[in-house]
Amino acid sequence: MRSCAASLRTNRADSTVGRLEELKKTVSASRLNCFHSCRLKFYFRYVLELSKATSPALFFGKAVHWALQQWSKTRWRGGIVDPISLQSEFNSNWEMAQTLDQVDWEKDEETNQRDKAWGLVEMYLRETPIPYDEKPEGVEVVVEADLSSGPKLVGVIDLVRPKGKVVDFKTSATTPQADHAIHRNLTQLTAYSILHREATGQEASGFEVHHLIKTKTPKLVVTTAERMTGGEEDRFHRLVDSYINGIDLEDWVPSPGMQCLSCEFFHECSKHQHSSGGMGS
Amino acid sequence: MALKLIANYSKRLGLPGYSSHQFSVCVETEISNIDDVAGESSRLYQTLQKSVDEEIQLTGFVPEQGYGINEQTPAKVSRQNGSSINGGHSLNGHANGEGWKCSDKQRELILKLVEQHEVDKAIIEQLSQGMFGVTVRDLNKLQASGLIDQMLEDYGGKRDTRPMKSTPPRRQYSNGGTR
Repeated sequence: MRSCAASLRTNRADSTVGRLEELKKTVSASRLNCFHSCRLKFYFRYVLELSKATSPALFFGKAVHWALQQWSKTRWRGGIVDPISLQSEFNSNWEMAQTLDQVDWEKDEETNQRDKAWGLVEMYLRETPIPYDEKPEGVEVVVEADLSSGPKLVGVIDLVRPKGKVVDFKTSATTPQADHAIHRNLTQLTAYSILHREATGQEASGFEVHHLIKTKTPKLVVTTAERMTGGEEDRFHRLVDSYINGIDLEDWVPSPGMQCLSCEFFHECSKHQHSSGGMGS
Repeated sequence: MALKLIANYSKRLGLPGYSSHQFSVCVETEISNIDDVAGESSRLYQTLQKSVDEEIQLTGFVPEQGYGINEQTPAKVSRQNGSSINGGHSLNGHANGEGWKCSDKQRELILKLVEQHEVDKAIIEQLSQGMFGVTVRDLNKLQASGLIDQMLEDYGGKRDTRPMKSTPPRRQYSNGGTR
């Protein structure tokens, strides 16, 4: 019995070491943001790979992204989106996704959310600054770049408009301020800039974040940013260095704060605190 | 008095990919009579030309079209304002020996789809021109990704429902990483 337990521990340690090596080989803006917002959250999500039910907000966002992706792809092929058939496809995909994703809906919430998500898409199609006949350079494109510090940077760019303008879609409950929105998304935008350059040989000419706001009357807020500066790229590389060092040291120090209230690992974090002799133990 | 006669024959020929090669042979001989210059020159010319023509037919390495423009050795993105380690901007990362601008993996996948589904290459060229206004070989990685997506939808039976079908951030990449 004892040898069995020891063997399990050894296997677990081996798998963790393997996982850490994997995490050092590939990095994305999402991983960097997670690591630098709270290392313990990163540990739960990416090292232990604890699975969680999809949050309604995340499912909602994915659904809206999907519809916008279809819209961009249709323009790519020189077509025009028919909103009625897009809505019909949107509804069927929503249903199908329910069977694949485990979502914690509250009672009767799902239908309301589906209608609200479609309302957001309709609003976007009405108010988008993108002309209907504009052909994208890239839609939901998976790109990667080898960084000199070792890891491969990977990412998925929502949309690349003509002349290398990178667009990211975000659904949000509140209206963002322009400077806050760019600052909050700087790691992601810098990553996209590096990836765009690697994929095309050209610098991205600028960025647009299209915020689809889930207010009672949905609205669209577009924030723009100029092309990436050398300072921003240098900062990005320092974030990557810190990420690699943190994994090497297995430094999973938590960052308690307001963000914990909405953290999917709130309970695991509390347990971890007690088991590691934290203040609450 | 001996006279020195120097003959030099040189030939440069164009090669594909804006390149050329050149070979020259130079001999130095002595003649005793100035009246022999014409005859000796003629003999040397024929001899040297024959020698050069025989040798210059061996072209050795001939670069593909776009060599040195489309293909760079694999570059890594460093922290000096986006320059690559081997100098300059990293143009499309991977080099491949076929003159394609996209990555090797993308090229292989495009060719595999064409072969597997017995698609006429002209149709894929039309698709590429329609979507991006360039030939398949000239697609950069960003564009090639779009073409592959479209080919998978058209011929691979792939229906695009990705964003709604699985839980992020576990998006799988080809190298096993996740988003």
